[in-house]
Amino acid sequence: MAPDRSAGAGPYAWVRIVDVAGLASAYGTRLLAALGAEVIVPEPPDGSPLRRLPPFAPGVDAPEGSLWWAYHSQGKRSVVVEDDATLAGLVAGADAVIEAGPPGTSEGLRAAAPPTTTWVSITPFGLTGPKRDWRSSDLVAWASSGVLHSVGFPDRPPVAPAGPVQLAHHLTAMYAALSVQLALRVRRRTGRGQHVDLSMQEACLALAPETGVPLYLDDLVPRPRPGNRRTVTRPFGLYPCADGYVSFLVLQPAHWRAMAAWIHEATGDEGLLDEVFVDTAVRWEAAEYVDAMTEALTATRTKLELFTEGQARGIPCSPVNTIADLRLDPHLEAARFWRSEDHPAIGELVSPGAPFRVGSSWWSWDRAPLLGEHTEAVLGAAATATATATATATVGGTP
Amino acid sequence: MRALEGIRVVELSIAIAAPTCGRNLAFHGAEVLKVESRLYPDILRLLGSGWARTEAHADTFIDTSPYLAEFASGKLSVGLELKQPAALDALKRLLSASDVFLTNYSTPAVRALGLAYEDVRAVRPDIIYAAMPGFGSDEALPYYEYVAWGPNQGPLVGLDLLTGYPDQDPCGIASIAVPDHMAGIHATLAVLAALEHRDATGEGCCIDLSQFELSIGLLGPFVMDHALTGHDQGRTGNRDPLAAPSGVYPCRGADRFVAITVDDDDAWSALGRVAGSPPWAVDPRFATAAGRARHHDELDELLAGWTAGHGADELAAWLQATGVAAHPLSDPPGVLADAQVRDRGWFQVRPAGRFARDLSSGQPVHLPDAPADLARGAPTLGQHTVEVLGRVGGMGDTEVERLLASGAAFGPVAPDVVLRRPYDAYLETFGLVGGEA
Repeated sequence: MAPDRSAGAGPYAWVRIVDVAGLASAYGTRLLAALGAEVIVPEPPDGSPLRRLPPFAPGVDAPEGSLWWAYHSQGKRSVVVEDDATLAGLVAGADAVIEAGPPGTSEGLRAAAPPTTTWVSITPFGLTGPKRDWRSSDLVAWASSGVLHSVGFPDRPPVAPAGPVQLAHHLTAMYAALSVQLALRVRRRTGRGQHVDLSMQEACLALAPETGVPLYLDDLVPRPRPGNRRTVTRPFGLYPCADGYVSFLVLQPAHWRAMAAWIHEATGDEGLLDEVFVDTAVRWEAAEYVDAMTEALTATRTKLELFTEGQARGIPCSPVNTIADLRLDPHLEAARFWRSEDHPAIGELVSPGAPFRVGSSWWSWDRAPLLGEHTEAVLGAAATATATATATATVGGTP
Repeated sequence: MRALEGIRVVELSIAIAAPTCGRNLAFHGAEVLKVESRLYPDILRLLGSGWARTEAHADTFIDTSPYLAEFASGKLSVGLELKQPAALDALKRLLSASDVFLTNYSTPAVRALGLAYEDVRAVRPDIIYAAMPGFGSDEALPYYEYVAWGPNQGPLVGLDLLTGYPDQDPCGIASIAVPDHMAGIHATLAVLAALEHRDATGEGCCIDLSQFELSIGLLGPFVMDHALTGHDQGRTGNRDPLAAPSGVYPCRGADRFVAITVDDDDAWSALGRVAGSPPWAVDPRFATAAGRARHHDELDELLAGWTAGHGADELAAWLQATGVAAHPLSDPPGVLADAQVRDRGWFQVRPAGRFARDLSSGQPVHLPDAPADLARGAPTLGQHTVEVLGRVGGMGDTEVERLLASGAAFGPVAPDVVLRRPYDAYLETFGLVGGEA
């Protein structure tokens, strides 16, 4: 059931995915699309909700102007679907379907899928359990994982990690992509698809161990929100400098010795040269002193000076960059990281390049589709796909 | 039978990024060999546990970190001092029988060890080589030799600038290294794609995963926006681009909060009824999402005035019963006690190398035909050296003995010492029972 596709020869070029999960899967299916899969996004006539998410390109409204859509739908195909039968037809020809409806609401649609189809249900809390019908959001998912409680300054309510980025959704989307990859691998052995139960709470819990449960159980000591420096040791976290912030992370003995020498040179302070401070626990106990001396070093220098000299001394440190800073970064420039594409409704769009590089030419990136751009091309072929899928299901075959 | 049964991975790793990938692969059935050094132990081992900082645990401290339970569970620990040629040879024997080589050592360090892609490919032509250094593997690039750790990568790409309230300094994400985890998950996706590629073509490949580049990929819409308009996305606290109100509100008790996202007008009406229909609930200024967004500061105060008189658990239950997205801000005991977390068995208790039983987190990808599982917790340092060198490396007893005697390889210290964590008995409180071998 290899889809007819002209562009891209990535490892998933034989896979057709129908993605109706919106933001909960968009980041992950974008990667699978770039790795060759045909990712079909069925949309209502007025467009996917993702097309209404700001920011918008200047002067270009929904459905084409949303930059969330423009980025997260790169390489996908848009099919306007006006009735359930058409959607069922798409599902019948899919190797994998990803949906994010409330538990139980997709059962009718799932009946249209052949037994070889991988079905990924993304829900706020999972398909089972006492909270299976609870609703969620990026913020609520972080709250339920323990992460939200651990981020923020102690004197203000906790705050979501990089709230505008919608990280909880992207995390979930990555696990949705892994679900498809793993289930297709299993299908090769069993000949069957399966129903994957992916909970947004659990996607966040998988990232949460650092924030608490294992450490808490180990000593039953509640840890207050740390603000912008970590409770593990010092220097560890954000330090103000002449033009913004710089981030230090000094754990290894060699890194600390280099840091102590730098502080000594910059401030004349000899106290931190004492070998006792090589122990991360001692530096945590003396956090106030270590921080004060670190700030004495950083206050008079710019973030780039600190980055360059700190790295020359072998100390893990980085500037805290804005997007404007990143766009000027010499490393990214030399790596030819940024990619540019021409969008018919917007014009030139600049976006981040591939998240990893491979020797083979796996990646293929097309711009995001216009609303309904592939309706004819895909639905014209749907009847054939349905017939093939039914035949495959009957013989229990695999691709 | 799990999804990756039959796949063998050699993991040369430190901290969280590569171990997260190895952990995902192990959960789904891959055999993951974590190659470790006694001279340069993984930082996760050096962290140990507070209660184990005593003379009595001098030998075993290195096996006690709860981070190990999370990031090394299910793996086999192989003790090899790779700077010794005999140890490197032994590793190459293991690599020749492996499918994947996974590392987040810095590229200069990997090359100095003689483990560049070309070196590994020479012993295993179809190896899937996944390197995940902070700044990529291209020595022509400016930051090639820079040292990178996950917690610095979040600030580097501005994730920390985007965390906090707009009227205050960035508070950053000081409790988790998002790029480390994201790198580990992306590496998992890359390795699975590479297995697909290998199955189809017979070819291995080299995956070069720069945490720097990968983390910027999370910011796509804002990069596009900046290029088009010059606007640089700022902090928005707990607000939501489409839903209002969205926030974290104080509840009864010390440091207790509830997160609420009102994502449409129906949810707003429902919230008003739950709150007992106070005047603000029917104020026409708040009738639409646009109106609520415009008056968000005022709404936050009104809502906080209501929530502060109630418990977080009861508020969340009332709101969810009427279709409003809400949840208490769980702290660690709250996560452990969460009825949903318990019902779905997220936390698992397993026998571990140093502990009669140990606790670790589960896996979000539930495959009914191939359930993810880890049979055991974290290994002690060097626990499986002898077994793996024999079974996988094909070495005879004499050869293994020689490696151990020369110090090129090492086994575990005090292999018979089995510890219990101080909280061992406490696990029953959360319904976490059993787990012992």
